Parts: sequence; structure tokens; C-alpha cells
Amino acid sequence: MNIERILAIAHKEWREIVRDRFFLALAFVVPTVMLLVFGYGLILDVENIPFCVVDYDKTPLSRDYAYRFIGSRYFNFKGEVEHEQKLRSLFERSQIRFALIIPPNFERDLRAGRSVTVQSLIDGVFPFRATTSKGYVLAMNTAFNGELLTDYFSKHVGIPPDQAEKLAQPVNIQLRYLYNQELRSTWSVAAVMIMFVLMVSPPFLTAMGIVREKESGSIYNIYCSTVTRTEFLLGKLTPYVIISTINSLILWALSVFLFGAPFKGDPIFFFFASVVYVVCTTGIGLLVSVMVRTQVAAMMITVVLTVVPAVLYSGLLIPISSMEPMGQFQAHLFPAMYFTDIALGSFLKGVGIKELWGKVVALAIYAAILWAISFMLFSKRPKS
Amino acid sequence: MLGEEFKLWWIRLWSLTLKELLQLSRDGFLIIAIVYMFTLDIWLSGNVHLELHRATLIVRDADHSEVSRELIANFRYPYFKLGGEVFDEREGIWMLDRNEAIVLLDIPENFMRDLRSGRTVDVQVMVDGSNTVIGTLASNYAGRIIGEYGLDRALERIKFHPDKLETVPRVDVRVRVWYNPNQEDFWFLPISELLTVITILGLMLPAAAAVREKERGTIEQLLVSPLTPAQIMIPKVVSMTLVVIVGTAFSLFGVIKGVFGIPVKGNLGFFFLTVALYTVAVSGMGLFISTFTRNLAQVAMLVLVVAMPVVLLSGAWTPPEAMPVWLRRAIHLSPLYYFIEMSYGILLRGAGFGALWDSFLGLSLLGSISFVFGAYRFRRQFR
Repeated sequence: MNIERILAIAHKEWREIVRDRFFLALAFVVPTVMLLVFGYGLILDVENIPFCVVDYDKTPLSRDYAYRFIGSRYFNFKGEVEHEQKLRSLFERSQIRFALIIPPNFERDLRAGRSVTVQSLIDGVFPFRATTSKGYVLAMNTAFNGELLTDYFSKHVGIPPDQAEKLAQPVNIQLRYLYNQELRSTWSVAAVMIMFVLMVSPPFLTAMGIVREKESGSIYNIYCSTVTRTEFLLGKLTPYVIISTINSLILWALSVFLFGAPFKGDPIFFFFASVVYVVCTTGIGLLVSVMVRTQVAAMMITVVLTVVPAVLYSGLLIPISSMEPMGQFQAHLFPAMYFTDIALGSFLKGVGIKELWGKVVALAIYAAILWAISFMLFSKRPKS
Repeated sequence: MLGEEFKLWWIRLWSLTLKELLQLSRDGFLIIAIVYMFTLDIWLSGNVHLELHRATLIVRDADHSEVSRELIANFRYPYFKLGGEVFDEREGIWMLDRNEAIVLLDIPENFMRDLRSGRTVDVQVMVDGSNTVIGTLASNYAGRIIGEYGLDRALERIKFHPDKLETVPRVDVRVRVWYNPNQEDFWFLPISELLTVITILGLMLPAAAAVREKERGTIEQLLVSPLTPAQIMIPKVVSMTLVVIVGTAFSLFGVIKGVFGIPVKGNLGFFFLTVALYTVAVSGMGLFISTFTRNLAQVAMLVLVVAMPVVLLSGAWTPPEAMPVWLRRAIHLSPLYYFIEMSYGILLRGAGFGALWDSFLGLSLLGSISFVFGAYRFRRQFR
């Protein structure tokens, strides 16, 4: 291996990138734009669920019950509907996602000490939204029941209301959110998006690199030169790794200074881990580039290999531990998941090398395998 | 005479469409990628749960009584799974730090004694908030489990017999979930993934087909041929739309209905019409992108910056209701937003044209604007 030749190749590649001004700009603009759009737009909280109420009772108590939903920030009241027959078309046109139907004699029955059944309809098309809505509905109902019970106790057992409350609610739950006390989704999104952007953009930058030379025929210059394949690939990729490393710094700065995500961990460790991750994802682009013959194919395969794992198998939406064994197995095959732990750990949890070294090692092994396979597949003596 | 010309026009269109399809079919890796996207990729996305499922719970039980064990037993599959017991809080937080657990339940000493003697007992629940979605769900469920447990204990305290439950005022909520009664998320994700695949292919294939000619220089040949710009452009769109429609049919019947057994309720003709309309709309965007770029590397980066936000923010992954107001307005400019409305409407809710006409109108309008604009820019390159 000759350092000079590697540098020469890297220099040539760098010149080529710099002369394609538009591409150079895109190489830096794309990651930044992605982080900005997602940071502002990807709100994962389920809030403002549009809903309406069918109140057949129209008494103070039924209104009090409905008002718990109307006043909540989780729901967005769209108005009252006279009859439940009108609900179906509202659901079909996605005007509402949830409806509450209060039966007649709601107040009379409750006052008489009978139990009452309230119907609630939820649009199940988006399951995550549906389960969360269901959770909110049941939680509000439990709270309402607690108050009803307190009332009932104080009237029928004959004790003052504050004592009845104690009696009615024996177990008090103290809830604490660790790492993100106010549960701000922007904080998590900003941290996780570094993972996402660095999973998707470096492979795209790189994937075209070698195929382009193959497609245009300029690769023959390399085939007939004294440059070895290791030197060629290393030199070829150095500029892309550098660009992506600079991008990782830009993304970090945007997350911290623009989105205000707290960075509690060790910056040097995080930087080092990001470089390993970038080398790893660049390796995906390299592998694709070596494998295929045309740039169109390289584009499509890169999409397949990066976008889906980065969304579904990274822990962005769902933690790996709650997947089925099959899903867990798939997740371990992609590097995204390890870096999600590193990013969330370094940003929100404030942990460092002691807790996360295993993930960095996993990424390094992953990178080594990718690069090794690419070196083996790349040949200076093309068939046919 | 006019008839001859008309016939020639169609023959040229047809042969160029054929040429595009041939070119595509000779790229083995590309075919593999497209087939993968319409089959395995959709299948993979069906293995992911989008709700609280087996969230790991660890317990610090300082009481070790039958009552505390009863409470712990209420945290069960499918929402939670017990990840073991720790002996102090520090050890528990260490496990949360290392992402080995999501919830830490802390039961104080004398839990049983205090509960039986009529005092109020505090139970501490610590939830990992670094993933806000899971954090919300986990705390929701934990709150409900502990709340219901408390209510049962309260009734026990006044020596209340469960058979007499009818005489306590109480609101029962009967939750009915429409369109997906068991909330099986494997209904949602594969469809969402299919829509994403259609978007990415519809954007990339025509853009790539157009730029490739520029990069290779074959555009010169087309320019000196007796073809009009429209005759060059339309075949690229038509052939790629055909590929997308065939792929969609494949994954709809093969994977979505076949493997997952998701019931498709609506009119399939209407659905495929929508797919075609949407693909043409997106192709317009693809052609538009192609006019800005000189090589495929640029196309790849531009598609990335256009496609990712459109896909992630149009409601395929996150609810539009929760977005900031400006973004909720902005997504009305995304054809995918209407496409998602219509696809879920047709496939899961069985909605017809009557319920979806406004989305259909929006999609047609946006589609024609983007296509006409893309075509205009594409034509202008030839001057």
C-alpha cells in the first residue's frame, strides 16, 4: 500500500466533487435540510385527535363528562352531532378519529347508583394512534370513576370528602420520566435524526462513486494503472468519509443549538462513535457501488438497504426490545440500531464509553465486514 | 393524411415505451431491487409492532408481600414483560441507562401493611423518556394498571362484594375500534410501506431514465430523431407507471392479501386508478427534478431531499393532527397526503368515490400541475 497513491486518488476524487458544484452543495445541504424538516415536522406525540360527541342525555353531569375530553390537549373538539348515524361519514372522510356516545339517562342512572356504559368509537386505521387514543380515553374514564366513587363514599358511608378520597384512591402513582422529564419529542427526534440522516445520506453520496466510473468507462484508467484495488477504494472513499464527518458535526450543532436538545454525554466519545458509524454507512454505499453495474440500480438498492432499516429497525419508532424475535434479528443486521442507542445515550441519558463501548465495537465490526466484502468483490480484471 | 400521422405518432410512442421497458429489464440488479421492494420489503415491515408490546419492566420490590406480587402480576404480556428484579434504585437506573429496560416500578416497604390499614401508598414508576412515543404509551398503561388495581382495593376496603358492583355509580367505557377491530398493526405498516415504495419508485425511475440519456449522451440521438419532446417524455412516464402498477398488484394480492390476509374492502379498480394517477403526478415531480440535474449522483441527492420529507410527513408514519399548523397546511401540497387518505379509505374503510371525491380532486389537481410543470421544464431543455 502506497500512501502517496491513495492521496493522489483522494485528491482526484475531491477535485471531481468540487467541480460538480451542485453536487457539492447538495452533499452538505441535503443532511441539513432533512434534519430541519424532521426536527420541526416529525412530532410523534399523539395530540389534537379530532373528535365529536353524541350526547343523548344533555344533563350537567353528561356535559361534565364530555368536557373532560373537550378540555384535554389530547383531543380536538369538532362539535356535537345529533345522532350516531352521522358519524360514519365523518369517519370515512377523516374529519374525526374518535367519537364519544353518551347514552340517555346518563345522569339519572349514575345518581341512582347504577353503572352506565358509554360508547367510544376509534378510527383503527393508524394502530399506534388508535391504541394511544384508547389509553387516553380509559385513563380519563378511570379518573372520572375515582371521583364518582369518592362522592359515593362520602354520601353513603358518611365520611368527609377528603377522607373518602383517601379511601377511594388507595394507591397513588408517582410518575417520573427519566432523561426527558417533560417528554419533549423534539429532543428525542433531534438526537435520533442524526442517526437517520447519517444512515441515509453517506451511502447515497458514495454509491454513485464507483458505478459512475464503471458506467462512463473511466474505470479503465484505474484497471490499467499501477494503483492497487485497496489503494483505489481507500482513496476513492476518503473524501466522502470526510464530508460525512463534517456533516455529523453540523448535525450535532443543529440539534444542540437550534433544537435545544441537551447533550449530557462525552463529546469526544460521541464524535469518535459518529466517525465509526459514518465509516460503516459509507461502507454500505461502497458495497452497493461495487456490486452493481448501473447507477440507477445503485440508487434503488441504496434506498432499499438504508431507508427501511433506518425507519423501522433502528428504534426510531419502536424499541428493539419489544419486537418479535424475527424483528429483533433483522434489527441486529443493520447498523442503525446501535447508533440510536449511542445517540440517545450521549444526548439524553448522559452515558459514555463505559455503557456504550459494546455498540461502538459492533459498528466497527460491521464496518470491517462491509469493507472486506467490497474489497473482495472489486476486481481490476472485469469479466467480459 | 391526418390518420397516417396520428398512427405514426402512436407507433413512435409505443416503440419508445417498449425501449424503456427493455432497458429496464436488462438491468438485473435493478429488477432485483424493484422486486424486493414490492415483496420482501413489504413483508418485513409487517413484522414490526407500532404499539406498546413487551416493554421491559424491572421491579424493585421492597415489600415482598403477596399484595405487591399481585400488583406486579398485573403488568403482563402483551404490553409488558418482566425483566427481572433489582435491589436498589441505582441498579435500576443503570439498567435503564444501558437500554435494558424501559420502566422501573418501585414498590415501597410496608406496602401491604399500609394498604390494609387504610393509608394511601405511593408507588413510584420511572419511565425512560428518551423515546417519547414509547414513554407515553408505557406510562399510560402503567397508570391504568395501577389505577384499576387501586380501585379494586378501594372496593375491598369498604367490604364491598364484587357481585354488588351494579350498585356503585360507575362509567364503563366500551371502546370499539372501527376498520381494524383488533388493532393489528400489521394491517397498517405494510400498506404504508407500499405507498412509500410507490412514491420512491415513481419519483426515481422517470427522473433517472431522463437524466441517464443526458449523462450517456444518447439524448443527442433522440434530438436528431423525428421525435417531439412529448414523445420522448411520455414513454418514460408510461413505462415506469406500468412497472409500478404491476408491482403494486403483485404486492397487494401476493403479500398484503396473500401472506398477511388483510381484508381489502373497497373497489380495486378505483384503487388502481388512484395508483396510476398518483404515479403520473409523482413522475411529473421526477421529471422536474431531472431538469435541474446533469448526472445521476445529483438526482440521487435531490430525490432524497424531496422524497424523505414527503414520505415521512404526509401521514404515512406520523399523524398529521399532531403537526404544527404551518406544516399541516403545507402537507396539503403533497400528493402523497391525498394518496394516503384515498388508499386507506379504499382498502381498509371500503370508502367509495362519494366519500373521497375531495381527495381525488386534490390529487388530480396537484398531479396535473406537477406533471404539466415538469413537462414544461423538460421541453424547454431541448431549445
